[in-house]
Amino acid sequence: MTEQALALRATGIRMEYRDPATRERLTAIERMDLDVHEGEFVSIVGPSGCGKSTFLKIVNGLLPATDGEIEIRRTGKGNDHAMVFQDSSLFPWYSVIRNVAYGLACRGVPRKEAFDRAMPMIRLVGLEGFEQKYPYQLSGGMQQRANLARALTVDPELLLMDEPFAALDAQTRELMQVELIRIWSQARKTVVFITHQIDEAIFLSDRVVVMSARPGRILADIPIQLPRPRDLDLKRTPEFVAYEDQIWRLIAKQLTPETAVTA
Amino acid sequence: MAAQPTGLVRDDGALRRRHPRSGGRPRLPIRNEPLVFGIIGFILILILWEAVVDVGLAKASLLSSPSRILTAASTDFGNGSIWPHIGVSLLEWAVGFAVAIVVGIPLGLLLGVFRRLGMVVDPILSGLYATPTVALVPLIILLFGIGINAKFVVVFLEAFVTLTVSTMTGARSPDRRHLDTARSFGASKWYTFLSVTLPSSVPFIVTGLRIGAGRAIVGVIVAEFIAANVGIGFYISLNGNLLNASRVMLGVLLIGAFGVFIGVVIGRIQRYFDRWRPAIR
Repeated sequence: MTEQALALRATGIRMEYRDPATRERLTAIERMDLDVHEGEFVSIVGPSGCGKSTFLKIVNGLLPATDGEIEIRRTGKGNDHAMVFQDSSLFPWYSVIRNVAYGLACRGVPRKEAFDRAMPMIRLVGLEGFEQKYPYQLSGGMQQRANLARALTVDPELLLMDEPFAALDAQTRELMQVELIRIWSQARKTVVFITHQIDEAIFLSDRVVVMSARPGRILADIPIQLPRPRDLDLKRTPEFVAYEDQIWRLIAKQLTPETAVTA
Repeated sequence: MAAQPTGLVRDDGALRRRHPRSGGRPRLPIRNEPLVFGIIGFILILILWEAVVDVGLAKASLLSSPSRILTAASTDFGNGSIWPHIGVSLLEWAVGFAVAIVVGIPLGLLLGVFRRLGMVVDPILSGLYATPTVALVPLIILLFGIGINAKFVVVFLEAFVTLTVSTMTGARSPDRRHLDTARSFGASKWYTFLSVTLPSSVPFIVTGLRIGAGRAIVGVIVAEFIAANVGIGFYISLNGNLLNASRVMLGVLLIGAFGVFIGVVIGRIQRYFDRWRPAIR
């Protein structure tokens, strides 16, 4: 593998919080060290409540970590990072195009220019013709396409995706995985992708990082050596299934009856 | 024999088609059903009212009747004597409500966004909200006299508190996910307010307008009941004292019609601002 520049370096990230009910001090993330190279697609999987979404919020700057350091590469053209949230984070009062142009509007780009720059992203995610629709008029899959376009429009160095397909039905989800691979191969972004779906992580990623149950730490960092371009048939190959098996075993060991209940 | 699903299969074993609807007989399609049936109900009440008075079940001098109200209306509109009352009441309502909007909405937004400031004002607003403004009318007349200024103040107070509290509630409750999104894209405080807080407050503001407009009408009438020499409230109370039930009813109907009209106007406004929401029907 050729030596690529680092896009993200997380060092010694630790997250503690006080349970609001019991006043008890809990550790959500024990220690996270993660390097992501430029152009890489890295997924983080782990049992529910392992702190994977918390980690992403720390990277995104929405939560302050108790300890540790986040470094994100900046080249100066666009935003250094952008987030694709779970469902319904589109603004329901804005049309699709205003949602997609939102990141630019935040930076004070005039409306017309922002719309002009949003259009190619709307085309890229396959929403052409739906620019003037409101989010409620779109299906769940289309809403997440718009969500992705909104993040891509600010031309981020690093794309953070927090279980973006979690609310979709199984078939739409598979379709969106294929779409995401297509969009990623065209937009050439570095991606950190959070999911609890093992096959989704393997299918999309160059590397899958497996986290332990709470307090979260990295159990394994598995390079996925499957050829690209990938299509859904890949999911039925023995190599794919072997990866699935390996990761499932790591996670299954973490699942106690207690975590199964809270899941 | 295995258990058979009821409804599809009967004792004789033959398949029968189920009726898609329980009634079976198709209904006549009517456009704008609620309006049509609402008007039918209204007309029925008028006929019943007229009949009850005509057969002598109730005294016309106490209950009046639709035909008698119509006569009173043609007299008072004919000689123009009712117009000053309508004009003054409308003016009182419009000025008081307009000031309530201009003050109440910005204040509500301010109190919602700056939470601590909201906490300081909360007890005062809750107190005012719980107090019927009617109780304050004698004091307001003492302060502002029996002229139109006192009416402006009463109407303003009636509408303002509702509007402020409703707007404040809206400004306090934007969705966490939307705020996170704004922050994640680096929106300034001001832009976050414009793009998240304000739009998510709009439904609350419109509700405040709706309730406030109604309370403002109550304010007009009550203030005129207590001390006035012109206005629809005065017209009603005067004719009540003169035992003229038809004119009292005419006044009441005028107020009711105005209330309905304002409701329709605000409904239009609401529909405009709700265009981004799935129709609730």
